[in-house]
Amino acid sequence: MNPAVFDQIRTMASDLFGVPADRITATSSPETLENWDSVQHLNLVLALEEKFGMQLSPEEIEQMKSIGDTAKLIESKLQATPR
Amino acid sequence: MAIVIEPYRQEHEPAVQEFNRRLQQSSGDPDLVFSQRSVPRWLPPANNNPVWNEFFVAVEGSSVRGAYGLKQEMVLVRRKGMHKVACYHHPLSEGIIDRKYASVGALLARDALARQPFLYALGMGGSDRPIAKMLKVLGFSLTPIPFYFRVVHPYRFLLEMQALRQTRWRALAMSMAAVTGTGWLAIKSAQEASKLRGRTLDFVAEEIPEFSEWADEIWNKANGIVSMAAVRDAKTLRLLYRADVTSIKRLRVSRKGSAIGWAIIGQRRKDPKFGRMRVGSVVDCWAAPENAAAVVQAAAQALEKDGVDLIVSNQSHQVWCRAFESGGFLKGPSTFVFAASKKLTELLQPLEETRLSLHITRADGDGLPANF
Repeated sequence: MNPAVFDQIRTMASDLFGVPADRITATSSPETLENWDSVQHLNLVLALEEKFGMQLSPEEIEQMKSIGDTAKLIESKLQATPR
Repeated sequence: MAIVIEPYRQEHEPAVQEFNRRLQQSSGDPDLVFSQRSVPRWLPPANNNPVWNEFFVAVEGSSVRGAYGLKQEMVLVRRKGMHKVACYHHPLSEGIIDRKYASVGALLARDALARQPFLYALGMGGSDRPIAKMLKVLGFSLTPIPFYFRVVHPYRFLLEMQALRQTRWRALAMSMAAVTGTGWLAIKSAQEASKLRGRTLDFVAEEIPEFSEWADEIWNKANGIVSMAAVRDAKTLRLLYRADVTSIKRLRVSRKGSAIGWAIIGQRRKDPKFGRMRVGSVVDCWAAPENAAAVVQAAAQALEKDGVDLIVSNQSHQVWCRAFESGGFLKGPSTFVFAASKKLTELLQPLEETRLSLHITRADGDGLPANF
């Protein structure tokens, strides 16, 4: 996992979910972070799309089961994007 | 396993039943259910129907993890003509009971927007509720639709209105007001103060079994004053208020033998917030501005004759708001919210002005079969 991408997502999640960044790990998920509900999930999707300039498909949104999964998804999309 | 959203078909029905069972078991809320039938009972799709319902389910393998409905309809937008829009309703997600599925709510809302960008939602229990919050995140504009009420029997209202009796002291004060008659005096005074003084409106109201062509004339005569209204011509009204639906009444209001307007009235199903009161509702109405007050009065009189304790209505158009106020209705806090997608909001710009002439009532959206 690319640490730079992970850190950016962790910071984003920290702001959205109101949790200190150092408490967010790759395994953090809606089941472990109290404020990660359906509304915040949508906020996270929109924040990721804006930050990384990409569109997330329904299949990709559904893959975002944890911060680690989200970071892997974004990383693979960034790699697949022609520069 | 990936979640896929697809049209609700008969083969999904057992999985939807299982989904409902999980939701009810974990939440304890008996209202948390999606339609067990893939074909909507209200407004099923049919050839050439201008308004219909369709359902979608979020499927993961053999399980259903979410569902929603779209009510497809035509609306008239001032200076822009007829537009196809859809009402997003009954979104339900497994995320309510299992946070593993927190993504489903977002998937449902985005799927609905992809199917119909001119999307709206109505009601939702207030702008602080999860669905309204989610739609706001997606760029929807939220507009509360004013709520009006008229107390017919103050004694029962003071004793039964649970929102006024939430603490022991308030409950005691309300009971005292009911018993001593001071509450009656206060409510009647407030209602009379807003009423048209000394004006007797000349009209005849009759209950009709079904709408016919006279309603087209009234639709055409009055639709110039709205910034947006769902079509209410005779054909659409016959679908919305089918002759075999007996939980509502259709009133035709006439003057000197000519129809001048109509109203749909009904008694709301029991709701804990109203206690044991019989609550009547002016569900829908239509008339030219000069006849709105007569229609409101006709509807209120018919409900009073039916023995209701309280009459309620939600109205967005300023003409109808004034007509209700002049009919002795008081304005109360509203949790009935109109949420318009970005595309629909663009169509309604400038919303600050157009919102005053939107024609939105309790009959819009999805509430009709559930509430009456």
